[in-house]
Parts: sequence; C-alpha cells; structure tokens
Amino acid sequence: MTESIVSSFVLSKWNAWASGINDIDDWLNWSKKDLALQQEKAVIPDSVPKMLQRRLSPLAKAVFNSANKCIVTGEQIPTVFSSAHGEIYKSLEMLKAIQADDEVSPTAFSLSVHNAIAGLFSIVYSNQQEITVIAPGQEGIAPAFIEGLGILQEGADAVLLVLYDEPIADFYPVSPFNLNADKTCALTLRIALTGEGLPLQFSRSSMTRDDGELPIQLFAFIRFLLAEDRSLSLGNGEHSWRWQKL
Amino acid sequence: MENELKQLIIDALDLEDISIADIDSNDALFKNGLGLDSIDALELGLAIRKKYNVKIDSDNEDVQKIFSSVSALAEYIESVRC
Repeated sequence: MTESIVSSFVLSKWNAWASGINDIDDWLNWSKKDLALQQEKAVIPDSVPKMLQRRLSPLAKAVFNSANKCIVTGEQIPTVFSSAHGEIYKSLEMLKAIQADDEVSPTAFSLSVHNAIAGLFSIVYSNQQEITVIAPGQEGIAPAFIEGLGILQEGADAVLLVLYDEPIADFYPVSPFNLNADKTCALTLRIALTGEGLPLQFSRSSMTRDDGELPIQLFAFIRFLLAEDRSLSLGNGEHSWRWQKL
Repeated sequence: MENELKQLIIDALDLEDISIADIDSNDALFKNGLGLDSIDALELGLAIRKKYNVKIDSDNEDVQKIFSSVSALAEYIESVRC
C-alpha cells in the first residue's frame, strides 16, 4: 500500500448538529450508546437576524446550528461548504409547480441553488471572505478537506469546513447507490495549520473500500472525532482518504 | 384594501411574527422600514399579480414609488384595477 502525505493540520474547533443532537455532549452519548436520533427540528441561533430567519429551511437551520459555535459575527474567515445533494427537494417542488402550470416563487428559486445556504451564512455573519460550495458526488467528504487545506496553504489563518446533507425526496431513486443517510446532519470544522486543537494528518490511501457518499461519511467522521480510534479511512469504491490523529 | 394588502404581504413573505397592526401604512416597506429586500419585491409582485391581476413591471419608472409603502401600493392597485 503506497501512501503520500498530503497535509497536516489542526482541528481548532468543531460542532455538529443532527436531529435531536445539539452539542458535543449529545454526540458523545450518541457515540457511546448508539443513541437513536430523534426527529427534532434545529433551533435557530440568535445570531441570525429576524428577517433572515424566515428564509432558513430545516437543512439551513441545521447548518447554522453547527456553524454558530465555530464563528463569531463579523469574523472574516474563508469557508468551504460541501453537500452531496444540497436542497434538491426545492428544485423538485419548483418542477412540480411548473408542471401544474403554477408560477414559481422567486424566493423559492433564489433559495434552491447549491450555494443558497452559503449566501445566507455570508450575510448572517457579515463574512466577506471567499466561500466555496462543493457538490462532491461520490467523492464524499474528502474534497472539502482538499479545498480547505489548499486555502490554508495559500496563507489563510483558518478555514471553516461546513458539511451537510439531508435525506433526499422519495422521488429520486436511491438504490442501488449508497448516497443517502436517513437523518439530516451538519458538521462544521474549524481548521488551521498551527495552534491549539487536535492535530490531524490527511492523506491519500490506495485502500479500496466504499463508505458511501457525504451524508453517510459525515456520521463516520463524527464518530472518529469522538472515539479513541487513531485513524479513519473513507473511500468511494475506487480510492480512499485517510485521517490520522497525530 | 390596505389591511388586505398587509395580510398579503405577511402571507406571501412568511412574516410569521408580524401582524397587520405592526405594519404602518405609511412606513417604508424596504430597507429601514419593514426591512424587506429585493427578493421580497419579486415575491410581492407575483402575489399582487395573482390576487389582483395587476402586473407591476420592473421597468415601470414609478416602481420605487409604487412599492414605497402599503398606502402607495394600495393606491396604485386601486388606480389600475378596473
């Protein structure tokens, strides 16, 4: 097995939200007892202005819940968003409206694009740094790391990685692909090249394994962060990536 | 008419926490007044077209004046509606 080191970095802060799991303590319980996830809606953090709150879908609320503990309003930090499916149900709803000869809501259209949550995020936190939004397809969570580490290499002090997905509508065929988790989940990682936090190394691995798409890999990565395990490999059937605690 | 329009604004723009009494007919709808934005303008234009069959073109040179307040909007809709 050949491996080439891509980059070492420090996980300065992280937070995740899934239905019924609001903070790290909840996640610890989840990882230890395999706590069943509840169907619970995310509460909107106070940092979101009232007039923007009405634009937040359940998935956007999940994202803001996870991100809110990793950024303060006004802080300028490059951010990488990554989601396999984004809010595809909104596009489906619009297509249904068109099919029914109904007019498409401008608001619905504006919020249906893959970078809609990133746009709201930028407004809410007055963050004017570069924001990238990835749709990684079968590649899982790794492309977000590659992008974020690249931005750090270019000289940024810190980067936020925001990974999120929700179950996609029954309309879309899922089987036989491994592309859907049964719960909404959002994970925010604040990374830097140096400083306090959990030192990690990210590398390409020649291991052949299939761990599903981003919605599924999210839970595996959170479990890795909470567990004693020193390393985690995630692959897409062809190639894989490895995260190692240093 | 003005109250009907206020209810339309609340419903079309998902202003859940706002009631008719909270909207002053003469207050600005956008920016410093009610705080609506450009997406709301499009959404409100669509809602008005659906309900009153009145189309307010974005290239109408009075468009800013028409959308300036609930009373201005009501006045315009009344004036063009037969």
